[in-house]
Amino acid sequence: MYARKDRKDDDDSAQGGNKWSGERSSVLQEARVFNKSPLDPKKCSQVLTKLLYLLNQGEKLSAAEATDTFFAMTRLFQSSDVMLRRLVYLGIKELASTANDVIIVTSSLTKDMTGKEQLYRAPAIRALCKIADAGTLQAVERYMKQAIVDKNGSVASGALVSCLHLLNQGCADIVRRWPNEVQEALNSDDAMVQYHALGLLYQIRMNDKLAVSKLISKYTKYNVKSPYALCLLIKLTCKMIEDEGYGTDCPMFNFVESCLRHKNEMVVYEAAHCIVNMKSTGPSEAGRAVAVLQLFLSSPKAMLRFAAVRTLNRVACNHPKIVMSCNIDLEQLISGTNRSIATLAITTLLKTASNESSVERLMKQIESFMTEISDEFKVVVVESIQSLCEKFPNKQGTMMGFLAKMLREDGGFEYKKAIVDTIIDIIHSNEDKMEIGLGHLCEFIEDCEHTSLAVKILSLLATKGPKTKNPSKYVRFIYNRLILENAQVRAASVSALAQIGSECPNLTNNVIVLLERSLMDEDDEVRDRAAYYLKILQKGNTDLFTQLTLSIHGLESALCEYLKSDMSVPFDASQITYEPPVKQAKPAAPLAVPEKKISPGKNVYQEEVLEVPEFAQLGNVFRTMPPIELTEPETEYVVKVVKHIFGEHVVLQFNCTNTVNDQLLENVSVEPVAMNGGWKAVHTIPIKKLGYQETASCFVCFQQPDLLDGAYNSGFTNTLKFTVKDCDPTTGEPDDNDGYPDEYVLEVFEVSLSDFIQKVANVDFVNSWEELGPENELEDTFVLSAYSSLQQAIEKIQDFLGMHACERSDQVPEGKQTHVLILAGTFVNGGRILVRARLAHDPTMTQGVTMNMTVRSNDESLPELILTSLA
Amino acid sequence: MAGSSNPIMNAVNKLLDWIKSLFWKEEMELTLVGLQYSGKTTFVNVISSEKFSEDMIPTVGFNMRKITKGNVTIKMWDIGGQPRFRSMWERYCRGVNAIVYMVDAADKEKIEPARNELHTLLDKPQLAGIPVLVLGNKRDLPEALDEKAIIDQMNLGAIQDREICCFSISCKEKENIDITLQWLIGHAKSH
Repeated sequence: MYARKDRKDDDDSAQGGNKWSGERSSVLQEARVFNKSPLDPKKCSQVLTKLLYLLNQGEKLSAAEATDTFFAMTRLFQSSDVMLRRLVYLGIKELASTANDVIIVTSSLTKDMTGKEQLYRAPAIRALCKIADAGTLQAVERYMKQAIVDKNGSVASGALVSCLHLLNQGCADIVRRWPNEVQEALNSDDAMVQYHALGLLYQIRMNDKLAVSKLISKYTKYNVKSPYALCLLIKLTCKMIEDEGYGTDCPMFNFVESCLRHKNEMVVYEAAHCIVNMKSTGPSEAGRAVAVLQLFLSSPKAMLRFAAVRTLNRVACNHPKIVMSCNIDLEQLISGTNRSIATLAITTLLKTASNESSVERLMKQIESFMTEISDEFKVVVVESIQSLCEKFPNKQGTMMGFLAKMLREDGGFEYKKAIVDTIIDIIHSNEDKMEIGLGHLCEFIEDCEHTSLAVKILSLLATKGPKTKNPSKYVRFIYNRLILENAQVRAASVSALAQIGSECPNLTNNVIVLLERSLMDEDDEVRDRAAYYLKILQKGNTDLFTQLTLSIHGLESALCEYLKSDMSVPFDASQITYEPPVKQAKPAAPLAVPEKKISPGKNVYQEEVLEVPEFAQLGNVFRTMPPIELTEPETEYVVKVVKHIFGEHVVLQFNCTNTVNDQLLENVSVEPVAMNGGWKAVHTIPIKKLGYQETASCFVCFQQPDLLDGAYNSGFTNTLKFTVKDCDPTTGEPDDNDGYPDEYVLEVFEVSLSDFIQKVANVDFVNSWEELGPENELEDTFVLSAYSSLQQAIEKIQDFLGMHACERSDQVPEGKQTHVLILAGTFVNGGRILVRARLAHDPTMTQGVTMNMTVRSNDESLPELILTSLA
Repeated sequence: MAGSSNPIMNAVNKLLDWIKSLFWKEEMELTLVGLQYSGKTTFVNVISSEKFSEDMIPTVGFNMRKITKGNVTIKMWDIGGQPRFRSMWERYCRGVNAIVYMVDAADKEKIEPARNELHTLLDKPQLAGIPVLVLGNKRDLPEALDEKAIIDQMNLGAIQDREICCFSISCKEKENIDITLQWLIGHAKSH
């Protein structure tokens, strides 16, 4: 879907680019009319409108063009035509960032924002804040303060929103001086002003938890009239409850709950939405929120129905029992004319479906309108099928058939990718369905326009094919690709064939014959791969696909070096040295430290650590944790830690950012000290130099503690150590002196047992449990006195062990007093762990939750490790 | 407010403008420059018959004012005199009827930079031939220079390629404001 959209955009801009580039120069020519005397306001308005249109189409002016146009435009201040003047404000805002010397209009805008013409005032403020720097803002501070509390709502709103922008433009200090005015605006009768004032007040205090909490508790008691402000307040309150871990019995939560009875639908929806999405929400609270959403499901307004069903869809996995109470209303929506609502309704029903017959019925219903809905919603359907497969392993056959049918129909890349991923998931989790799944995928690549999917499937065929009864079948499919497809797919086919050839000795000769034909391929890569694999296959070398454990950068630079030499001695891979890629200093942005762009997923950090040669021999990364901040935001040095778990080591990656513009830090390292004695640091890599606004990583590598010590849980106290050299803030050149050593204490973080355990989804728990048998089994009983409900205890256990709850055993039906939680995971040493915990809780007793836990594993030491660390 | 978007009112306004133009025939455009604190904004206020005020804030950028004197409408671009705006003076001087250059006659240390800025400005080829009026403001102060001293110290004699004139005025005491206005209005006709 997205891919298709992008393609369309590209087409548009390709055509549009030509069309508008002609227009652009003529509009710039026309802008000369601004300099004419006497002025023609009507003509000028037209030209200015064209110009604004162009800029909003994404047309970029050069600095010189923008400056010339801007100054010509400033001459329009001589006209008192209201429309023209308001267009000028828009023009100023658009050109403010590209033109030079925009500060020239400050005085004129100041006059307009304080003048008699009300229509000028708000837009003049907004334009002024676009061009203002800290200096000019100080000069107009008085007027801004007056504007914030102005009786005219649009003026006050304009000023407040401008302040929000100014906070990010390096003028935060000045805006922070106006809390009294903002507070006063919060009392305004104008709904919009109240909303903007609350938003600004929150932004100003955002980094001060205490102040935010005061703000929230003050205004939750105070009768906020504006529905917009209320919605924001609900959001902030819920964030606060989540962040601080308040339960559902605090006054803040009562406030959110009271909003469920508000007369404005938007407020009611926001409250319900926030309640069901909060982690701390228990079944009874969620029930009340869902009841409200249920009412919306039968609302005559499509928008409300859509909002409600979308929210229910999202939370169906967390609160299936509660969402189930809406089933009747959801069933009715399926037959409605609005297909978006119907799709969401049906997928919600699928998520909550409790038995297999209802799943089958719903699947039939979906099929009936799959052709009528857009790709985006088809992806939603596929996602819900994916979760169904996990829930009902027996249904995977039916689902597979359904998915195969969808795969044959038309659809965009995202849609097809979702289907392929789901089928691959099933193949991985269910041996029986593997061949059927592979068959469907083979059929799909026969006519597949998406290269990346074809490559993915080919590599899957290569790994799974040899394990099937008849691998030669797949050789035929793969060979077809080799004849018919583009170079990328052909190259992947060659690799896939070679892998099958090396793993199935009876096919090796056939594969060699097929590969020989690719020696004449027109593409270099395909030819190279064919030649390479042929050589290996002919030699009978089987460890063809062992992974490269070298640093790629190191290998590349070593090979380049080797090519420059006379090549008299053979290349020696053990001589590879590591040279870190040259990091370019980021251009100094004013004040704000640019956050490093982190694409979703773990791979950024993983790649970084794997590039360090010292760690290359540690093997593969078992897990990489998301970064933890060790400093408050806005401190001098910003440090985050990323935990990489290797087979026998733990590497701590400390990402340090220097935000002091007159300091150059050298030899920066972090010294973590484990509170638990079992941990020994074996290697430390400091950062050599860290200039202003640069971010770099230093590493500390620990040997993992002995398995039987049970010392995996440990807190770490951390000190940042470095040598400071004072430097010139503008050039970053250090002074001549040697600098002085300094230290900075960081916050504590923890390494816990759960870091060493990987979740394993799609396990058939009962069978695996039997398979492992009672050989390595340990059992123990605990009283968890700190928890007041089963759900709470389950969440904590899951958190602590970091394992996957099978068969959705992490959901406790309401009112039950006993529950069995089953968990599956893999330990860092490769051992499988299965946990069965029987929990009991009697609400009339105050003793907490009693738990009997049985642990089975294929490694004899693991059950003991788990149980001792729990105790 | 609403009148401007009403088509009937628009038509009426246009008609009124046209009738007015029969009487107020002449329109002229002036640019007022000079170093900061020389009294440019004060001068605009004084000629538009507002009160003199000691307490002024520096002009950040420019002010645009329209003033009607007799049958002449004067469009006045009053540009800030701080160093960061001086490079932009030229942009607002192109094509005007006259450039008014304000000098603080009582601040002897500023005379030299004032002279340099004036000559730099007038050297711009785009501004060739535009008449210049140099005003020595603050003549009410005891050490203020008179016309002769200003002409001499500003080296006005070196400017040969255009009409140039110099008056000594006081915005505070409203001295010589009338002859200044007469000179300005006199240059409206050449347009």
